[in-house]
Amino acid sequence: MLGKGLKRKLEQEEENDVMSCPQDASPTCYWLQRQTVLNLSLLKLHSRPGHSDPGLARRVLITNTLRHIQDELRGEGGPIPQPFPSTGAPLGVVDGCRERPADCGVEVQSEGSLTPVSRLEEDRHLLLCLSPSISRQQPPSSSVIKDSFTSALAEIEDLCPTVGITTLFTTEMGRSLTSDPNSRQTHPDLSEMNSGLDSVSSLSDSALSVFGHTPSLLTDFSLDDFLFTEIDSLLFDNVPCGSSLSASSGASKVVSMVTDDLVKTLTGYGNGGTSQSALPSNQTFKLDLNELDHIMEVLVGS
Amino acid sequence: MMAGVGGGNDFQWCFSQVKGAIDEDVAEADIISTVEFNYSGELLATGDKGGRVVIFQREQESKNRLLSRGEYNVYSTFQSHEPEFDYLKSLEIEEKINKIRWLPQQNAAHFLLSANDKTIKLWKISERDKRAEGYNLKDEDGRLRDPFRITTLRVPVLMPMDLMVEASPRRIFANAHTYHINSISVNSDYETYLSADDLRINLWHLEITDRSFNIVDIKPANMEELTEVITAAECHPHQCNVFVYSSSKGTIRLCDMRAAALCDRHSKFFEEPEDPSSRSFFSEIISSISDVKFSHSGRYMMTRDYLSVKVWDLNMENRPVETYQVHEYLRSKLCSLYENDCIFDKFECCWNGSDSAIMTGSYNNFFRMFDRNTRRDITLEASRENSKPRAMLKPRKVCTGGKRKKDEISVDSLDFNKKILHTAWHPKENVIAVAATNNLYIFQDKVN
Repeated sequence: MLGKGLKRKLEQEEENDVMSCPQDASPTCYWLQRQTVLNLSLLKLHSRPGHSDPGLARRVLITNTLRHIQDELRGEGGPIPQPFPSTGAPLGVVDGCRERPADCGVEVQSEGSLTPVSRLEEDRHLLLCLSPSISRQQPPSSSVIKDSFTSALAEIEDLCPTVGITTLFTTEMGRSLTSDPNSRQTHPDLSEMNSGLDSVSSLSDSALSVFGHTPSLLTDFSLDDFLFTEIDSLLFDNVPCGSSLSASSGASKVVSMVTDDLVKTLTGYGNGGTSQSALPSNQTFKLDLNELDHIMEVLVGS
Repeated sequence: MMAGVGGGNDFQWCFSQVKGAIDEDVAEADIISTVEFNYSGELLATGDKGGRVVIFQREQESKNRLLSRGEYNVYSTFQSHEPEFDYLKSLEIEEKINKIRWLPQQNAAHFLLSANDKTIKLWKISERDKRAEGYNLKDEDGRLRDPFRITTLRVPVLMPMDLMVEASPRRIFANAHTYHINSISVNSDYETYLSADDLRINLWHLEITDRSFNIVDIKPANMEELTEVITAAECHPHQCNVFVYSSSKGTIRLCDMRAAALCDRHSKFFEEPEDPSSRSFFSEIISSISDVKFSHSGRYMMTRDYLSVKVWDLNMENRPVETYQVHEYLRSKLCSLYENDCIFDKFECCWNGSDSAIMTGSYNNFFRMFDRNTRRDITLEASRENSKPRAMLKPRKVCTGGKRKKDEISVDSLDFNKKILHTAWHPKENVIAVAATNNLYIFQDKVN
């Protein structure tokens, strides 16, 4: 978008307007930018730039940016279907406790220590839940979702309105998916999803190389558990889009299934967990292979 | 026309030379990754992404050419580092030269340190302009002579030959860095030097390659708790026990090696309190310091973060004494710059010989100079269009909004692929070297 001196096109102008919104303008603008930054950060962390080591400094900076956004979202209180913008304080103002004291070398959270990883993961999945649901509740003054990630999520929801929450992430961590969208503990961790992707990728590297490896900064402590139980269900039990994918090769079948799970999970959150645990019949699941490819391209930022 | 920066009111910067290929297609390996003058300014070294080092030497000023100072011509070219493969991690180790630092000259030969991500090498560059002739045991072409045919002995004679410049690796300092080396710095004792990666700083003796002392280690026991990395480090120019290192959170720590073997605890801690009104999602990223340089006097140090250059007095830790905005117009574009990764670009900065001016690079092949005394600043461009010999450089201006005047360029027309990350200033004169992707520009002041 900012490139080799080319003339800007109209949609870039709009986008630049969004990006350059001052923080104390409309909360919508701030929310949109925050969402964009969140999505970009996640994309960056999950992409693998080439064969050489991507660099620790960059990963640390992106992860810290992500954590700041998580802190903000956590500080704003309850997750999903809060009518926007109902938070008391104007969103442009940073919570006082997050300003760094001048004499402190390392940024501290309000509790005086770094965010424990377990809390971090709670919030990451929370963010992923938030994305589709917030995108469904369009902010009042904006009628166009400008960010590609959010729009892709919106597309997914449009296509799969009734898909329920997958059974994929049940029990192993002692968590079950209930229909209460406001309870953070009931939702599986993003890390589990990541480790799910990782474990599958270890099985078919070629097809799944786009997923890269989970950054070492973010744990996948459930990897072992996930490997031994969820893989089976992932590969063999899940046939939500069986009819459309049965003709594809083994590798792409795995890919499609994983993407499919991602899709289902996202949509599940988007629905606020209203559907029951059992998957609906295949007939209602209308995504075909082309759309899955499109989603994958968006997700990995190719 | 703005009065010049860097040396007085009659000062103008002029084009002197440009090195490198002209065509638009830039080979990745030719991208210059570091530029450094030696202590006298007679030699100028560049390193590139292909692992090569090219050294330019200034020709002696001849009495005939009064209008320009000596030009820099290629003196030596050699392959310093080769790509390697880390089998344990299945990752390539790039051959890109991250830093070159010269050693002070102690004899006829020149020595420099060059570092890629993992390995530092000490190179000796020496001249050979004589050749021995008249050996007894072998012919001129090197074949051994039959000993029974030797009837007389003669002493070999040194005969002049065409100048040959040889570069040979004298020391290889390897296997000491788990993370990517971002800095090397020669100590003022001329016996030791430090090398810094993302999490550790090591102290080496120039003669000893099989071990180094770890003097800073910020790696946490649990890597998930890592929130800050080391971004640059430098030895004090006069006090051989003092060094500084900067971090990704915009802080600088000054350490004294006499205090403890492990300098995890700093002697001084430099940080400017954050301005809450300018806080954004990118505040931390743009506060990350990409370069730190002591002034020649040793009283000040300069840090470069994404949008500004700051000069710190070593005696004052709570804020810099001077702050210069490099390209503040980018503040509203940070989200886009985050998307295209430009926000992670690491710009360097440098002092002039008298510490009265500082220079740093920007985008669109612009570079900026700030005069500390007059508080004037100037933006210049390194481009082939201004490359007539001794052509004066015209100041450039970026239009930030509203009506664009003639000769101004608007923010959205800037080419973010043309970035000037590496610049160097001659230690004594007003001659600067600016690396623009694969081209090296040399500018000097107009000699009146």
